[in-house]
Amino acid sequence: MRSARDIARGVAAREFSAESVTREALAVIDRENPRVNAFTQVFHDFALAQARRVDADLASGKPAGPLAGVPVALKDNICLSHGRTTCASRLLENYHSPFDATAARMVMGAGAVIVGKTNLDEYAMGSSTENSIFGPTRNPRDITRVPGGSSGGSAAAVAAGMVPVAIGSDTGGSIRQPAAFCGLVGVKPTYGRVSRFGLVAYASSLDQIGPLARDCADAALVLDVLCGKDEHDATSVDLPTPASHNTLDEPVSNLVLGVPTQAWSTANHAGVTASLKSAIDTYKQLGAKVVDIDLPLSDYAVAAYYIVAPAEASSNLARFDGVRYGRRAEGAKDLTDMLCKSRREGFGPEVRKRIMLGTHVLSSGYYDAYYTTALKVRRRVKDDFDAAFRAGCHAVLMPTTPGPAFAIGEKIGDALAMYMEDVYTVGINLAGLPALSIPAGSASVGGATLPVGVQIVGQPFEEGELMRIARMLERAGQSAGMA
Amino acid sequence: MSYADIVSVTLVVGLEVHVELATRTKVFASAPNPANPAFHDAEPNTLIDEVVIGLPGALPVLSRSAVEMSMMVGMALGCRIAPLTKWDRKSYFYPDLPKGYQISQYDLPVCFDGAVRLPGLDEKGNPDSSREGATIGIIRAHLEEDAGKLLHESPGGRAIDFSIADYNRAGAPLLEIVTQPDFTSAKQVVFFAKMLRNICRFLGVSEGVMQKGHMRFEPNINTHLTLADGRVIKTPIVEIKNLNSFRAVEAAIEHELAEQPRRWIEDRRVMGKGMKVTRGWDDHRGVSYVQREKEDAHDYRYFPDPDLPPLTIDEAWRERVRERVPELPMARAERYAKDYGLGAKEAAALVEERDDCFFYERATEALATLGTMRSVAGKLAANLVLQSGAKRANERGVMVSELGIGAAEVAAIARLREEGQIGNQAVETLFDGMIESGAGGDDAAAALARVRKLAEERGLLIVRDDASMERWCDEAIAAQSAAAADVRAGKQAAIGRLIGAVMTASGGKADAKAAREALLKKLK
Repeated sequence: MRSARDIARGVAAREFSAESVTREALAVIDRENPRVNAFTQVFHDFALAQARRVDADLASGKPAGPLAGVPVALKDNICLSHGRTTCASRLLENYHSPFDATAARMVMGAGAVIVGKTNLDEYAMGSSTENSIFGPTRNPRDITRVPGGSSGGSAAAVAAGMVPVAIGSDTGGSIRQPAAFCGLVGVKPTYGRVSRFGLVAYASSLDQIGPLARDCADAALVLDVLCGKDEHDATSVDLPTPASHNTLDEPVSNLVLGVPTQAWSTANHAGVTASLKSAIDTYKQLGAKVVDIDLPLSDYAVAAYYIVAPAEASSNLARFDGVRYGRRAEGAKDLTDMLCKSRREGFGPEVRKRIMLGTHVLSSGYYDAYYTTALKVRRRVKDDFDAAFRAGCHAVLMPTTPGPAFAIGEKIGDALAMYMEDVYTVGINLAGLPALSIPAGSASVGGATLPVGVQIVGQPFEEGELMRIARMLERAGQSAGMA
Repeated sequence: MSYADIVSVTLVVGLEVHVELATRTKVFASAPNPANPAFHDAEPNTLIDEVVIGLPGALPVLSRSAVEMSMMVGMALGCRIAPLTKWDRKSYFYPDLPKGYQISQYDLPVCFDGAVRLPGLDEKGNPDSSREGATIGIIRAHLEEDAGKLLHESPGGRAIDFSIADYNRAGAPLLEIVTQPDFTSAKQVVFFAKMLRNICRFLGVSEGVMQKGHMRFEPNINTHLTLADGRVIKTPIVEIKNLNSFRAVEAAIEHELAEQPRRWIEDRRVMGKGMKVTRGWDDHRGVSYVQREKEDAHDYRYFPDPDLPPLTIDEAWRERVRERVPELPMARAERYAKDYGLGAKEAAALVEERDDCFFYERATEALATLGTMRSVAGKLAANLVLQSGAKRANERGVMVSELGIGAAEVAAIARLREEGQIGNQAVETLFDGMIESGAGGDDAAAALARVRKLAEERGLLIVRDDASMERWCDEAIAAQSAAAADVRAGKQAAIGRLIGAVMTASGGKADAKAAREALLKKLK
């Protein structure tokens, strides 16, 4: 499949039609999706109708949007007034949203064609896309393995060539970790950059929507479209959009990168450590200064995350009571029984676990010990990054994940092992910083060669610079490949 | 122990008041607000949107006008306005609460630390300047969202075996005002409650229609019992939920005042941790009943709402809002008493309804324009509004300002009377006449011309014509010969009947004072 930018350019120049691109994408989906199970729904008719609309608009002389005719897959926790918005949950299995999320509206407004909704861990709670009523999504690089999560469906759809770009959401690594597992570029913008209106909330103070793409240029193209102040989201920030796509090929001069001592954990897979080293070498060759930094509080980030996120989740998911919409249990004795039964039947085990955890840490008598302490850790995690930036670092370089994609079923019974998947990513959500994962090497596991990503963490609202730094690494890799 | 051992009972009441603010939109959504007069009569579940009913993906966005209305009420109650305020989620499950939590304020309310002064009150609860007033502390006033309503019978009253949810009210802005336990009588609480309603009306933040639930009251009541042996017993605090009339507030407090000593004699429970009881109020039977025994049965799991950034209220914003706070009713009443020599009760009556108060002030203004001294104008306009006006308004169940007569016409009638051009009877006739013809504009001179014309047409102007007076007196003496004989014999009291006869003979055109003089001259 062509890149998003080539499609947009070609459709705008009327070299080919949005409809033909969409048909092509739908054909790949029909062929590949049964193998990887990336989609919860595919919108054949709706996609073609959108594409024809794009073509008609262009024919009538309307200016082309930056994503004209680009097939896009939308994570199924982002509301769309077409189809269902399921969050991969029994409770919302048949839920139709009456409105479009701002992010969906933005990409469609830019000319993109939404071809379907992608699989995820229920309500975005997970790191493997196994916790879904639609069954697990498989990693297109090795279908015995997970694609990561929770935006695993979006990552798999791009990696399998079904769409050039997809939209995901990232609360503790849910864009970056699947990007790393599937060999993609995945960007989590600064908290407040992209409107959360229409994103079914998991943890409101951590959630951000962002793109997954095969390379930096496509990721930047979509990122620029997503960013912006939204009057429907009070936490969205009124700043000029980063214009990262236009400046992408300008290297950052006198680049300084910080590498935390914590990045060299002995728990890392050898391929992860090697990929990080290789990225450092590349940057050094490009003239960057690479300095050691310390993020002492990052050791506590996972613990703090698994207090803050469930606390907010327990409250955000309280609205699912079966009263106004969603699944309502049959045969309830009374009000309380209806509520309890509907929620027990509607939520999967991981979701129930996090609701109970969150309810507990907010309870009177436990609040200070857990929630207040976690907020203190959160502030200091951010302080650690701020210190690195103040010391002159443009960005921080570290692994995205401790290892490559693991096998389906491998960690599903071991919550702690699964939560440790997020060790390098959750701190960045706690700090609200922009970060991305970019392919940086590979790891061999039992004969399979799997992609490995490195993570680059930028300064608040400096997505433009972050993308340029990532592009430096990508371009060096491409020229090395050609040599 | 029995009643005989209780030497005295002191009442202690603190009050929580919920005021629905009349913003156009809901507090965190752009859906219309049923507390705004434009949307009062909306059909069930029509004032809703994705935010109000808590659809997945919907986010709250704060209404600044709800914050400004809250600030205005806080300022009127002498509160400090928080430079930084935030909203918290209060969690509980109930089908009328769409999100499973209410967005409220936990530790940083918009307004805090205020106080209001109450006048001394007589037995009926009216202001009485000879008695000592009281200061009521205001702990806080915070802005939160209302819940929807559950109906347990179908519209029309048919019994159903399920419940119906109406979310029109859900998300309406609610200001919760919490006072210190500074009230010592039910009358004081009611006076405060009425004053608060009036303040809200003057500020234009609520219509204060009790039947529509614009204001709801929750008194926290206990009693201090002084025993014969000198001990003082504090009875457990009872919170009465959801009272929505002044009568119910008074009755519930009086009921608790009577019941708490009796309960103590029975169960010996005293105030203390975990002893607070929540009771409901049965308006028909006039008794309270237990709703919830223990104070901390609920764990609301408050935490800061991550969807709403904390709000900074800087000095410039605060002062802009302060400029919109008009002179408050109590201050106006004091001014009327001082400037126009009105009694405390009269002055209080004039500020009871915002629109009538403004009507009265316009009448006073118009009267001053017509040449009446301002100090006199305030008094004359008050008499007309509180007597001729209030009487008719009561009969018709409307406000004085809604009768149809204009403030300028009221001033014109007062002016004619002050000048001695019409008598008291004519005042009433003209008042009715101007109600019929309707208000004719604010210009005082034009109104005077209109009223004078009507007086002329109806022959109500006092005639200062000696020949006519001569004739009316003769007719009167002829008609009331016995009374005339009495007056001749020196029984001055009989003159009243003769003056009445003169008024009858003249059809009200005679000036009573002049008639008296003419009669006395004739009967000397």
